Amino acid sequence: MAALDLRAELDSLGWLSLAKARYAMGAKSVGPLQYASHMEPQVCLHASEAQEGLQKFKVVRAGVHAPEEVGPREAGLRRRKGPTKTPEPESSEAPQDPLNWFGILVPHSLRQAQASFRDGLQLAADIASLQNRIDWGRSQLRGLQEKLKQLEPGAA
Amino acid sequence: MLEGAELYFNVDHGYLEGLVRGCKASLLTQQDYINLVQCETLEDLKIHLQTTDYGNFLANHTNPLTVSKIDTEMRKRLCGEFEYFRNHSLEPLSTFLTYMTNEFPAQEVCTPCSQTLVTMFLRVQVNFHPVKRCSYMIDNVILLMNGALQKKSVKEILGKCHPLGRFTEMEAVNIAETPSDLFNAILIETPLAPFFQDCMSENALDELNIELLRNKLYKSYLEAFYKFCKNHGDVTAEVMCPILEFEADRRAFIITLNSFGTELSKEDRETLYPTFGKLYPEGLRLLAQAEDFDQMKNVADHYGVYKPLFEAVGGSGGKTLEDVFYEREVQMNVLAFNRQFHYGVFYAYVKLKEQEIRNIVWIAECISQRHRTKINSYIPIL
Repeated sequence: MAALDLRAELDSLGWLSLAKARYAMGAKSVGPLQYASHMEPQVCLHASEAQEGLQKFKVVRAGVHAPEEVGPREAGLRRRKGPTKTPEPESSEAPQDPLNWFGILVPHSLRQAQASFRDGLQLAADIASLQNRIDWGRSQLRGLQEKLKQLEPGAA
Repeated sequence: MLEGAELYFNVDHGYLEGLVRGCKASLLTQQDYINLVQCETLEDLKIHLQTTDYGNFLANHTNPLTVSKIDTEMRKRLCGEFEYFRNHSLEPLSTFLTYMTNEFPAQEVCTPCSQTLVTMFLRVQVNFHPVKRCSYMIDNVILLMNGALQKKSVKEILGKCHPLGRFTEMEAVNIAETPSDLFNAILIETPLAPFFQDCMSENALDELNIELLRNKLYKSYLEAFYKFCKNHGDVTAEVMCPILEFEADRRAFIITLNSFGTELSKEDRETLYPTFGKLYPEGLRLLAQAEDFDQMKNVADHYGVYKPLFEAVGGSGGKTLEDVFYEREVQMNVLAFNRQFHYGVFYAYVKLKEQEIRNIVWIAECISQRHRTKINSYIPIL
């Protein structure tokens, strides 16, 4: 069920919104030429152990767990007036919003695409956790069925 | 230009006007679009396009056919036709066509920071002499910047550069870190210096300033084009000026719409609006104060032309503002063909062909994503 939701989410909203953005901005303005081949992830997958030794997956924003981060850093755009005295280091803790690869004034459809892909990520993590639970449940069931089979001939 | 262009136009431009009208007749009709919409795969689409004027333009691409290949090939065709017009044109048509080419190369290659530089260089090619050479030089600059960003070797890129666009400071392009270095290296070569002096106030290359710069340069390009058409006078001015005014107003609306929720301040936004068009100056002042879509709609309601457009947004078809503006542009461009002996037919043909390319690419995307609910949102032309 959740897999279908993911499919619907990505197909109907994600990729189509991207196509709409290309329609509005021009096909070459939204494509692999806009980003470098190396990019920093904005979100990470966090695997944790829940009860009964099950693995749960959660999507967390990258840079949240950086222990050397001193204080809150302003992510996003800053307007630098003239040359700065101390060169500000490129923040690797706060990765740049990928929407800004395509400029600042991006059409609404591109923002929509970003939102749907974000939701899709969340859904994917939920699906993975669910899949784990299902597999665990299935293996439990199989184990119990084996036991039942062993007990029955014994009783008969 | 003398009044009564009917007497003199055909001497210099008659052949090309005939040619462009012939090209216009080969645009896809409603029946063609209906056939394309019924295709199941991109291969079907290719077969259907073979029966139209496009012919075997995709014949060299076997597998797998992607939407971006289709887009590239169609664009190449359009550029080829346009180059033919430009090579056979005489003054002042050739200057007119040169103004139009500023739109083209800017859409070809874009990278994170050089995107703006492309638009900067290209959209300001105003009645300057070695225009053709400029465009090749610019392509080379962009290629080099792209390579620098993606950490490719300079030699590899230099090999791919266009020979017509060579200039001595080429190797220095990828070393330049800030725009001022780049401008000092490149500006001296190209006759674009005066425009940059006007527009450049910040030195830093961050996204906000880049966007401001790009839009300011596009604004100055539009204003120069408008002035050219107006000074030309005659039927060309009567046809082109309303089209360009609509373009200016459209830019104002779209910039405003896209700037909601971003870091762009209202004062900055106002500097990006072109200073001509129906909205100038009162409408632009009101628009600069708008903070959401409804306020923008209130401004548009003052103008009889834009009120029905804004009312068509949303609705049952889920039309966006951009769709509605594209439709209006198509209407105006089709009407340009009703008059003879003017240069507007060239502009109108190119814009209509671009819309056709957008339509076909949209249909191709819907087919390849197997998502057919919105496949009919193309804009029919003929």
